[in-house]
Amino acid sequence: MHIQKGFQWRAVGKNWLLIAAFILLIVFPFLVGVLTNTDPTARRGLSVYWQGIMIELLIYGILTMSYNILFGFTGVISFGHALFFGLAGYLMGAFQRAPELADGGLLIGILVALVVCAGIGLLIGVATLRLKGVYFAIFTLAIAEMVYIFLSRYEYTGSEDGFTLAALPEWFDPTRSRLTFYYIAAAIFVFTFILIRRLMESPTGAVLLAIRENENRARTIGFNTLTYKLMAIVLAGILAGVAGILFTLLNKKVGPEMLGTAYTVNPLLMTIIGGAGTLLGPAVGAMGLRLLELQLRNVQIPLGDVVLDIGRILPIILGAIFILVVIVFPYGIVGTFTRWRLNQRARHAERLAKQAEALKSVS
Amino acid sequence: MPEPVLEVRNIHTYIGQFHILEGVSLSVPKGSITVLLGRNGAGKTTTLKSIMGITPPRVGEVIFDGQKLAGKASFNIAKLGIGYVPEHRAIFRDLTVAENLQIAERRKGDLAARQDFIFELFPDLKKLYKLAGGNLSGGQQQMLAIARALVPENRLLLIDEPSEGLAPVIIEALMNAIRRLSESATVLLVEQNFRMASRLADRYVIIDDGASVQSGMMADLVNDQATIQRYLGAA
Repeated sequence: MHIQKGFQWRAVGKNWLLIAAFILLIVFPFLVGVLTNTDPTARRGLSVYWQGIMIELLIYGILTMSYNILFGFTGVISFGHALFFGLAGYLMGAFQRAPELADGGLLIGILVALVVCAGIGLLIGVATLRLKGVYFAIFTLAIAEMVYIFLSRYEYTGSEDGFTLAALPEWFDPTRSRLTFYYIAAAIFVFTFILIRRLMESPTGAVLLAIRENENRARTIGFNTLTYKLMAIVLAGILAGVAGILFTLLNKKVGPEMLGTAYTVNPLLMTIIGGAGTLLGPAVGAMGLRLLELQLRNVQIPLGDVVLDIGRILPIILGAIFILVVIVFPYGIVGTFTRWRLNQRARHAERLAKQAEALKSVS
Repeated sequence: MPEPVLEVRNIHTYIGQFHILEGVSLSVPKGSITVLLGRNGAGKTTTLKSIMGITPPRVGEVIFDGQKLAGKASFNIAKLGIGYVPEHRAIFRDLTVAENLQIAERRKGDLAARQDFIFELFPDLKKLYKLAGGNLSGGQQQMLAIARALVPENRLLLIDEPSEGLAPVIIEALMNAIRRLSESATVLLVEQNFRMASRLADRYVIIDDGASVQSGMMADLVNDQATIQRYLGAA
């Protein structure tokens, strides 16, 4: 009994940061409500505004975590991740607004979108995962661009404008029930994080890391690395699809921009800034960078007679931040911190071993 | 001579357009330690890679325990019971010592069944169990690389240059470990350090310019200074 209690406390101690973040996620709408003296359950107000921003950050977090499965954990660089994000949005939207499906269209759309994302991931994987490095990346880019061009010119999908969704059920509508939608997005974000964490703590996760480090070496131990890479691309595709569905529901609109390179390049940069191959890094990178972008977008600084519009030079600022982070934190923010902590631990173990050795020689 | 566990028959291997192995044949008797000798670039490492299917031979046959390995992927070759320890301390630097060993399990319980033996051979690994492989010293990494090949039940171990860049005291410990593990598995070794090879191996195969040129008992080679000078340039 005592052992079990001790273990549980140790687990809590080890995960205090995650538990604190989880609690913050739950109380966030009410905390903002109290701080801004607004009602988190209302349709308007600062709390609701911040819930909207937070939902967007959570969606970016899911998208970036999904990209991290490929790039960070398995070492596969894809330039076509937006394909899953955008296509899932289109498919869900197409079914959701089909009048003959009525209310069932949403659920059918979500299921079809996820199954198609998994299927496309599998097909791309089978066809191309034997390609190494940049060749695989270029192939995925070509596929994503192909779908982008097709959907942006196809009349049924609204060409360049895309299309809006039909009315959503009130309880699920991000405009009318923002708080409910916030908790749905938060629950999916937490589920994604736990799923990836469980995966990476399992033997399968160790094999993915081994593939990232040296695929040939992993093969000579006895692993069919292609199977593991396929699993990674399918899972990453499904999770990117989930992010795309949430994004479409939040905006109640889908357009070809969701298949654009921005939704591949941004997760890549966010993963690098947060720490590729770490669990928390991509979420930290995605949420931090997107929050910064949203906050700086409307800032204007008066400089004498002229007004400096930060929004107009935002890409330059973000580029400078990216360069700075890469120089100061070569393994990303979380990655560099984790490495520093592991090195400290290794040095400590070395010191203890030397002390033990010295004591042994004295006695 | 005991029956061979591995037979390599006149293999020719190409890397890109380069003809690297131009006729390597060798036979590794069960329970022996056989060493591949030869100068740098002679084709020793490529021979091990050809056996493992990493650079599969275009011509010739590799037969392990009566089974032809042609056309098999390296992960299937490994599953037949061949452990491969590549050169340059090929561990996974980002995984801990524990994970490096766990990942090598082919069946659940492989590590539990052999960890006493592994820690008896390499006691340092027990102390460093939770450290990342990249934080180990060169000797410790080499021990971990060999230990990883011991986790599943391998009948043949291919070990490439285990002494490379290690201090003499570590080499001695490694030699003892390889001797011990040869009690349960057959070993085919690539080794530049002739002193170590001659003390460790029962048999030898000399590879020169991509072809096997001589093989026999190590005890005979040690007394054959002319051959040593000619092919190995060592006294």
